[in-house]
Amino acid sequence: MEERRILSDTEINLDLLAPVYGTPRWFWPVVGLLGLVVAAAVGAFIWMLTQGLVVTGLNRPVFWGFMITNFVFWVGISHAGVMISSILRLAQAEWRRPVTRAAELLTILALLTAALFPIIHSGRPWRTLYWVFPYDFARGIWPNVRSPLVWDPAAIFSYLTGATLFIYVALLPDLATLRDRSLGWRHYFYGALSLGWRGMSRQWRLQALVGILLSALILPVFISVHSVVSWDFAVATAVEGWHATIFAPYFVLGAIHSGVSAVVTVMALVRYLYGWKAYIRPEHFDALGRLLVAVGLAWFYFFALEFAFGLYGQDGPEVALREMVVFQMPWAGLFIVFLLTAFFIPVPLWLFRRVRRNIPLMLLLSVLVNIGMWLERFLIIVPGLARKEPFTFVWGSYAPSIVEILLIAGSFALVCLGFLVFSRLFPLIPLYDQKEGQVLRQEVEVGRARVKAVIREE
Amino acid sequence: MSEASLTSEPQGREPGIAPGVAAAGLSPLLRGGWVFWLAVAVLGAIFLAGLLSVVSLWQAGFAHRAPWGYYAAAFSILLSTVGAAPLVSAGLRFTGAHWRRPLARASELFAVAGLLILAWFWPLLRLVPASQPQSSLWFGWPGAPHLWDTLVIAGLTLCGLALLYVGAIPDFAAARDQGARGRRLFALLALSWQGGERQWRALRAALTALGACYFLAFVLAQTLISTDFAQSLVPGWQDSLFPAYNVVSGLQGGLATLIVVLFLVRWWGGLGAYIGREQFWALGKLLLALCLLWFYFWWSGFIVLWYGRRPIEELVLQLFIAGPYLWAFLPAFVLSFLAPFLVLLWNGVRRSILGPTFAALLVLAGLLFDRIRLYVAAFSVEEAGPVLQALPAPRLPQAGDWLVLAAAVAGVALLYLLATRLIPSLSRWEVAEGEQLRVERAFLRRKVTVIAKPD
Repeated sequence: MEERRILSDTEINLDLLAPVYGTPRWFWPVVGLLGLVVAAAVGAFIWMLTQGLVVTGLNRPVFWGFMITNFVFWVGISHAGVMISSILRLAQAEWRRPVTRAAELLTILALLTAALFPIIHSGRPWRTLYWVFPYDFARGIWPNVRSPLVWDPAAIFSYLTGATLFIYVALLPDLATLRDRSLGWRHYFYGALSLGWRGMSRQWRLQALVGILLSALILPVFISVHSVVSWDFAVATAVEGWHATIFAPYFVLGAIHSGVSAVVTVMALVRYLYGWKAYIRPEHFDALGRLLVAVGLAWFYFFALEFAFGLYGQDGPEVALREMVVFQMPWAGLFIVFLLTAFFIPVPLWLFRRVRRNIPLMLLLSVLVNIGMWLERFLIIVPGLARKEPFTFVWGSYAPSIVEILLIAGSFALVCLGFLVFSRLFPLIPLYDQKEGQVLRQEVEVGRARVKAVIREE
Repeated sequence: MSEASLTSEPQGREPGIAPGVAAAGLSPLLRGGWVFWLAVAVLGAIFLAGLLSVVSLWQAGFAHRAPWGYYAAAFSILLSTVGAAPLVSAGLRFTGAHWRRPLARASELFAVAGLLILAWFWPLLRLVPASQPQSSLWFGWPGAPHLWDTLVIAGLTLCGLALLYVGAIPDFAAARDQGARGRRLFALLALSWQGGERQWRALRAALTALGACYFLAFVLAQTLISTDFAQSLVPGWQDSLFPAYNVVSGLQGGLATLIVVLFLVRWWGGLGAYIGREQFWALGKLLLALCLLWFYFWWSGFIVLWYGRRPIEELVLQLFIAGPYLWAFLPAFVLSFLAPFLVLLWNGVRRSILGPTFAALLVLAGLLFDRIRLYVAAFSVEEAGPVLQALPAPRLPQAGDWLVLAAAVAGVALLYLLATRLIPSLSRWEVAEGEQLRVERAFLRRKVTVIAKPD
């Protein structure tokens, strides 16, 4: 199997700009299908607005269900971009080059989608303004700044701003390439966006410097986002299973686990759909697989600590909650599926090089991880609320309604649609990064063997 | 050692070993000047004085835990510094970082201090109760925690020694073949190593497996020790992040220990040509990341307990942060996070040799205070019952406690110094391999470093 082929600049331009200049045959049917799912979700949302939250499965005492689960899930997925781009750029990992743009895009699309869900969940979206903005000056109603529900938007929008700057700065040279190779409105569109990029050495220096600075500065924001989301739960002492000190790093690691897996899914699909076999190669999946082994093991350690410390104090309600999740259906079934798909099937398989380099299998395993991680969020949020307490009059349980299921399906369709629209306007693999990789590639003779090598970036 | 003897090594074995690498790696074996033996004598004296203090603790008995608090803190410091130092080499080997090569052996040599960790652990076993169903990770498991904790610490020690030994086999063979002093001993240790392709493959596989095992054993040891010897001693304290906090602060301590030792080895060990700015720069970046992680883990634990406002959690925060051990918490916070962060924030400082070394010293001082505030405070709680009722009085270090802490440091330094007489302090074969995989080439109008990346 070919690992690395010499590619000319022209070849790179033609290959990677093909989706921008042309339309594959599958494109419009897929866009139509995804658009239908999104339209159905929008319809469900409007129906919910007119009828109220009664059309969802939410009831007393389960006030948080599929929508909040989906919010946490998409915030988690958004961690892929910074994990891949920022950390790997700072670490100068050569294999990052074809992966970064798609990972950064996934961050933005996932964050935008995530931000929709607390607003939808509120049932009356306009009221959510009160969480963030002080709007009722006359009556002196102000947001409670001590509430995590204020921290959430602050963290998410900081991250969104940082991630957008991150992807935009990395896009500049490619925008100039597009500007120089387009006519009509596209020429003006790319010309305006490329901010007068001419590829002068000072511009390259500044772009590299800004990229490194943003990589370093965005890291604390990246960590803070899912930590703040986790504290929505962890600071609540009244709900069993939520009040745990480990939640912040446990959520962040889970986010990286699901986010990097999502990047594998995207890379495998993009490679297949656009035929970019010379760019997204088995060695990239191999490296992502090795990263996922480390992340998966660390995540499992935190999961084990969280579970064990739930039982540590032998506190009656906490033990009863774990018993319910592990032994009572339907929670037990979901718990087994979660453990198998999030850890026990993929991580041991990723230990084998042949599995890591088998792209269809990597696609399957990465999808499995995200099924497991979605269930993990569900099992954190809902059972703690649903467990029946003695001497209370609220005995409702939770089953998602068709409205919630449509909204969840719509969120996945929306992210896919975002990818397709982006790919029509901008290259999904950074052109300049590929060309730089070609320039830096070398070979070194060791004994009688020729070993692939790279020039070390200073 | 003369260059003539180096050139007489058998053809086809260890190609490409530069004479300088060989000399630096093998020359000090089994020898020691008067400075060396003076250092051994001074460290031995401090260690013996500390042992006398431990004996007096022993004579006072095990009925009360509080007097043993500093001894327990010293154990945790040992586990979090010398116990973690070999992980730097093992972890960097996993990531394939070439700059690790000159520091690999200095890192793995700390495995010999595992013997001290094991010995230090033994008296502590008499101070913790057998596992109860409540407030224990063992849930009444037979033999817990004594048997299982001992097995984990012994496993960590054995794994570390195996990692050190396997990694040194090619160098033992080189000492055997080059007629170094103690040739018969080195022949025994080299296990008939000839440097065949099969042997190299087996060596690399063994190093990978042992590195992974050591990492898992370290995480397990920190998890169990922090729970059984601190958390379970304070009734009602339930903090699921605490074991992971110990792992992270342990990694930070291990890295800081290695940086300080590299500075000493570079200065007095004659390895200045191999351990240079490149290593300190890279290690400085890692230390900065770990300082930030220290704060993140501490803050994540703190905010949840503080915001929760449960009475027992407020009391726990009082005990470890704001109450009787505030005098230890404040320097721990400043020295483990704030000061090294402000030092290492600047690339110019990270890119020097003194900058990361200074930050590492700060981190080690911070670790000392941190472990005092955690372990001395936990050991000073003598009450039983489901929930802590009252805060114990602060226990400030006495002369005997200082001696115990000094003995731990002296014991480690002594073992490390003695080990360098038997095992080359430079991983000769790894450095030689690195030289083959790294070339300087002209590129456009400048010289660049090209790094080969074999699969």
